[in-house]
Amino acid sequence: MANVSGSTYGLTTLSPIIEDNKLNLCHSMQIRWYLSQLPRDHRSPFAQLSSTYLARLVVMDDVVFVGHPACEEHLKSRYLLFETNFDGDLNTYLRRMATEAGEFVNAVWKHCVGFPGTDTVDAFITYMKTCQIETTFFFADVNDQTVESTLNALKTQAALAHFMEKHEGLPPADLQAAFGKFVERLHNAPPLPRGGDESRNIAQERRPHD
Amino acid sequence: MTNINGKAYAMNAITPMKPWKTPLLKLFFLVLGAVKPLQKDLKNLSFIHFARWVCIGRNAFPRLSDEQPTEELKYDYLLFISNFNGTWNQYIDAFSAVLYKGLDAIWLWSEKYPGSRPVTAFKRYISFVQFDTDYYYNAYPHSATNDVKAAIRVQSAFTKFAQTSQSLSPADFQEAWLSFQAAVSPDLGATGIAPIGT
Amino acid sequence: MTRIDVSDIQGFALRGYNFPYARYLLLELAPAKQARALLRKLLNVVTTGERWDINNKPQSTVNVAFTHKGLEQLALPLASLLSFPLEFQQGMRARSDILGDSGTNAPERWDPVWREQYVHAWLAVNARTAEALEARSREMQQFIDETGGARLLQSQDAGAIRLHGKFSTSEHFGYTDGFGNPDFKGAERDCVPGQGKLTKRGEWEALATGEFLLGYADEAGELPVSPIPHLLGRNGTFMVYRKLHQNVNTFRAYLDAKGKHYQGGKEKLAAKFVGRWRDGTPLELSPDMADPTIVADPNQNTNFTYGEDPAGIRCPLGAHIRRTHPRDAFGFNGGLVNRRRIMRRGLAYGEYVPEGQPVSDSDERGIIFMALNASIFRQFEFVQQQWIEYGNDARLGNDKDLLLGNHEGKGKFVVQGTADHANPPFICGALPNFVELRGGDYFFLPSLTALAMIATGTVDPR
Repeated sequence: MANVSGSTYGLTTLSPIIEDNKLNLCHSMQIRWYLSQLPRDHRSPFAQLSSTYLARLVVMDDVVFVGHPACEEHLKSRYLLFETNFDGDLNTYLRRMATEAGEFVNAVWKHCVGFPGTDTVDAFITYMKTCQIETTFFFADVNDQTVESTLNALKTQAALAHFMEKHEGLPPADLQAAFGKFVERLHNAPPLPRGGDESRNIAQERRPHD
Repeated sequence: MTNINGKAYAMNAITPMKPWKTPLLKLFFLVLGAVKPLQKDLKNLSFIHFARWVCIGRNAFPRLSDEQPTEELKYDYLLFISNFNGTWNQYIDAFSAVLYKGLDAIWLWSEKYPGSRPVTAFKRYISFVQFDTDYYYNAYPHSATNDVKAAIRVQSAFTKFAQTSQSLSPADFQEAWLSFQAAVSPDLGATGIAPIGT
Repeated sequence: MTRIDVSDIQGFALRGYNFPYARYLLLELAPAKQARALLRKLLNVVTTGERWDINNKPQSTVNVAFTHKGLEQLALPLASLLSFPLEFQQGMRARSDILGDSGTNAPERWDPVWREQYVHAWLAVNARTAEALEARSREMQQFIDETGGARLLQSQDAGAIRLHGKFSTSEHFGYTDGFGNPDFKGAERDCVPGQGKLTKRGEWEALATGEFLLGYADEAGELPVSPIPHLLGRNGTFMVYRKLHQNVNTFRAYLDAKGKHYQGGKEKLAAKFVGRWRDGTPLELSPDMADPTIVADPNQNTNFTYGEDPAGIRCPLGAHIRRTHPRDAFGFNGGLVNRRRIMRRGLAYGEYVPEGQPVSDSDERGIIFMALNASIFRQFEFVQQQWIEYGNDARLGNDKDLLLGNHEGKGKFVVQGTADHANPPFICGALPNFVELRGGDYFFLPSLTALAMIATGTVDPR
């Protein structure tokens, strides 16, 4: 089963997008517009789907003509490519998409052919599986963790480096006491936000166009 | 820059293959799945969170209604999806420098693939068949896969040390603390914002 | 064996002259007609890469390089101007966000010559003696006056630091510098162990010529990106010029403060920062003490790898030389680093103040860092962005190079160690900026042939 690596599942779907020449803004443009406005940090719908590591949505307009002597050919539909990497099994994840991120799912997939909505969860699951393409080869660098355990480890790492620096050279008994308090404080500290807190503020976007 | 979220870059590339070649590529992956040299190299390169190759048969594009036109394609397609750290150029350069045999074995079945060396023609080909991501989510945008793996090692050492260290005498604690610090000291890099992609 | 045309290549591209005196004349060129007249004068005196007769070594050398603005001023055809690599066309100022040159290093804070004006040309004089430097500089000024080809914007002196009455290769923080320039095929000396690239057998061999000179195959097995016509690029190379101010007081105070807490002692901590003891002994070869016999032996002083020290117990993972010349540290037999090498040509400027004497950060003091490479984008900019200002390749997350990093008081440097009290792990936090950028730009160092083409206005557009 190439869709799975360790405890990580890699889902790939291609959903045909509705073609409607009568619209001012075609469906694929509407998807793109909606996605361009959607928060990408802790407010993302995927942050709600808490088992998601990395996910993407891509409007695939066509295939590419690579030049002679290859043949030129074109797709008759545009497709919405959905790629996601998550913990656990597919049914659970799709069920959560329908029940916990239904508004988002409807806003995107309503532009796709045959999308049944999310009200009937089983119909949605069947639809997504119809659109699923089996992965041929899946690589996951880390495949024995969960999103939660990963974020917890990142929290520990940052706090520990800080603690070590601040307590360099302390007498042993004081150090031991301070460490005990640190363990407790860390345990009670809130988890890191899934999706980050300022991921839109990436350095790339500060670079003016050349 | 919709292809980037934090330290991760979302790449999509699609290349046409003559249908008789697809089973050969799948066979290659099947064997590869068993012997795993590519997996080992990708792990050692350590800048890909997740990547996948997906063969899409020319008749396999989903058709969800009778009104949707049937695709009439001559080629099968190889879809490559990667979540990597670092800049686009760095990624392709690294592939070309140290992974060229594996890459060539995967893409030589695709039409007009120039080979991964020299790198300039390879880059031109990749940028030609690449299409951009519209929406990209990253659960931990401030961490590369190296950061994640380091943090997991720290967490594992920390859990053990926290459980055992409080019952020690202060003198024993000091020695244990030194050993613990030595063990985690290669793994304490900060997380944060990545440099600008080029 | 690659043969390179040494008589057509500027000597500066092939070797460090190791002369103790240098002066860099930063010029604004006059309109093309006069500027070309100046270049025609220079053509007769520019130092090439030809071997010097042992009995007839020159007292001084002359080399010249141009910014893209300079080449525009010289009225190269548009097709040629646009065929130069993007980063060179843009110049260093416009690349500041890519390079991490922000805050105290931002272009707004640079010296006026780099901030308010446009340097068109770099005219360099290197000399054996102060007299030879002055004589050659006078000649250059004469050329400028006679032809009206340029205006001198600034004259930057640099030179070897004098220690105990003798010229040294020390820099202001007290480290012996000048080890470790990469060897490439066709250069005159044999490959020194540690200086080229690693082979599969773990030996060292010279890098492809095209990593440092245009017109020759590079490590990717192709010709580097070069301007058109090809003759304009061939035997030329690109140069990065950065004036790096050193906050010597800050450095000494920081090292003193942290050295008190580090059980290995202050000098060992200084060695951990860089990966070499201050006399130049590599930590990998001698982790417990400086060893002058290693420093003196060219077959030893750069002959080491990091494969046996993956956790940084001898040489920290973030030590300056491990970051900037990682050898085998990133695995794959060095395969990820061979196209990221740069040729350094640095010299100190400002008065050296011995340890223990009062010193101020605000005095003019630092290093004129010059790096030569076939691709500024792929080599210098990559090293600066990924290995100095970032740590992912070294598996250090966002931690920056301790010496050169733009820390702004926030950074940290981790010394890896063992449970041995003489070599314990240690964290240096709240890193200040030890080095600040005061300006610079990207230059093209043409061949003699190209210089003649430019000087005569005969660059033929394609």
